[in-house]
Amino acid sequence: MSKLQQALDSGKFVITGEIGPPKGVDIERCLEDAEKLRGQVVAINVTDLQSAVMRVGSLALCTKLVERKLEPVFQLTCRDRNRLALQSDLLSAWTLGIRNVLCLTGDHPVLGDDRDAKPVYDIDSVQLLKAASFLNGGHDMSGHELEGKPDFFLGAVVTPTAEPLEPQIIKMEKKIAAGAKFFQTQAVYEPESFERFMNETQSFTVPVIAGIVVLKSAAMARFMNQNVAGINVPEELVQEMANTKSEDRKKKAVNITARIIRQLKPLCQGVHIMPLGWDDLIPEIIKEAELN
Amino acid sequence: MHATIQKPIDEIMANLKPGEKVFVVGCDNCAAKCHSGGVAETEAMAKRLKEKGANVIGWCVPQPPGVSLCKLSNTKKYLQEQYADRIKEADSFLVLACGQGFHTVMDATDGEMVHPGCDTIFGGETVSDDFITEYCSLCGECVVEYTGGLCPVTLCAKSLLNGPCGGAKNGKCEVDRNRDCGWQLIYDRLKALGRLEQLKDYINPKAHSKWSRPRSLQLGDGEATFASLAGEHKVLNYD
Repeated sequence: MSKLQQALDSGKFVITGEIGPPKGVDIERCLEDAEKLRGQVVAINVTDLQSAVMRVGSLALCTKLVERKLEPVFQLTCRDRNRLALQSDLLSAWTLGIRNVLCLTGDHPVLGDDRDAKPVYDIDSVQLLKAASFLNGGHDMSGHELEGKPDFFLGAVVTPTAEPLEPQIIKMEKKIAAGAKFFQTQAVYEPESFERFMNETQSFTVPVIAGIVVLKSAAMARFMNQNVAGINVPEELVQEMANTKSEDRKKKAVNITARIIRQLKPLCQGVHIMPLGWDDLIPEIIKEAELN
Repeated sequence: MHATIQKPIDEIMANLKPGEKVFVVGCDNCAAKCHSGGVAETEAMAKRLKEKGANVIGWCVPQPPGVSLCKLSNTKKYLQEQYADRIKEADSFLVLACGQGFHTVMDATDGEMVHPGCDTIFGGETVSDDFITEYCSLCGECVVEYTGGLCPVTLCAKSLLNGPCGGAKNGKCEVDRNRDCGWQLIYDRLKALGRLEQLKDYINPKAHSKWSRPRSLQLGDGEATFASLAGEHKVLNYD
């Protein structure tokens, strides 16, 4: 059983982190980022061609983490692979020691760095969860028997501040029925709307790990508000960042992140911190959020 | 309707050999509605090519009015009865129509050289005389019963079958903030129809074997047989 699963099963409040593979083969810095998370987080997500930008794959870096005895969460999107490749990569992941999988739709290729790439989406995230559950049960999605079956801990994502929220919740229910055992959310900056979401989904009994992206600047907050779906950084936070001198920004980022985590903690089962390169702040964030 | 747009005239010219005797053929149905290959556009194309130095020996749009070029029996009869000499004389045909009409001319002329004059862009609804848009992707396995009559394969940029991704903002799609999120449209419509519970139904992955190409339909007495990589599927239309 994965450490992430053990931690969630035990009812412990979990902290997970994230690294994004580079575009190119110099993976040292990325692995250094992961090292900074050692002992701080229970598992580390490795993104799968995040923002639809071609780069080193999630499977390769997850394997590197396994080699270093760091526990990965293998992010797997439906954008680039058909059902054969998705299932095959899942089997490969198991043989490489990967135990946690996060099943996602994936950003559309037009958002990335090669607009003309074919968007695959042969199956969607609900169908991918179902396929992975079939593999766990010893069969592939077309019913053929496997020689040896994996036992993945399967996760999915949900956007708690989506407007309207209802279709997100209906899809969340479908993901649970398809085998999702935990949820990670889009970045949350408004604990009140997150609480509304948690109240609406309280009958689901599947652990929810709230996402939080470390705010680096007011410009970044405004960019996310404009461009990233399901993220809304309230104006007070944008101003708080804008009024901070650049040399104090890291400290402010710690303050804001820790404050939000303290507000989210009573509402959910964990936080997923996305430091976007500011991984060295994680210990301070955890300390200030009183998560030790 | 098969929507088409004309290829750039210079691209068409570049594909004609010097002195090549070309006969231009349009379509009085879809291409006429798209203003890419009706009577006016076909005549104009012949003139424009001549002005650029092409050896155009004639043009036509098979009739009766409104008939589709892709109806082989009509196109063959029309070309052979009305333009027998020109067809014999022509080195090639330039077709202002969709890919199906294009191939029909190849068949109607018993395999003569044919140049495409159009790009076939999609199959759509003629919403008005000047607006055509796409509601169906011809996937061979219709799911709109479960989605309020709106096709997620077509209207969702990712063709998702089980609900929206997290990419929509204010009801607009992540690929283009001016474009409606297909699943927002489906949600709104199911809600308005009082059928929102249908959103909870799990929809199976598409059978891509039914979306394989080329596919065919064989018609018989009260029956039809659809052939694809999924096999032959016979339906009885009156049973």
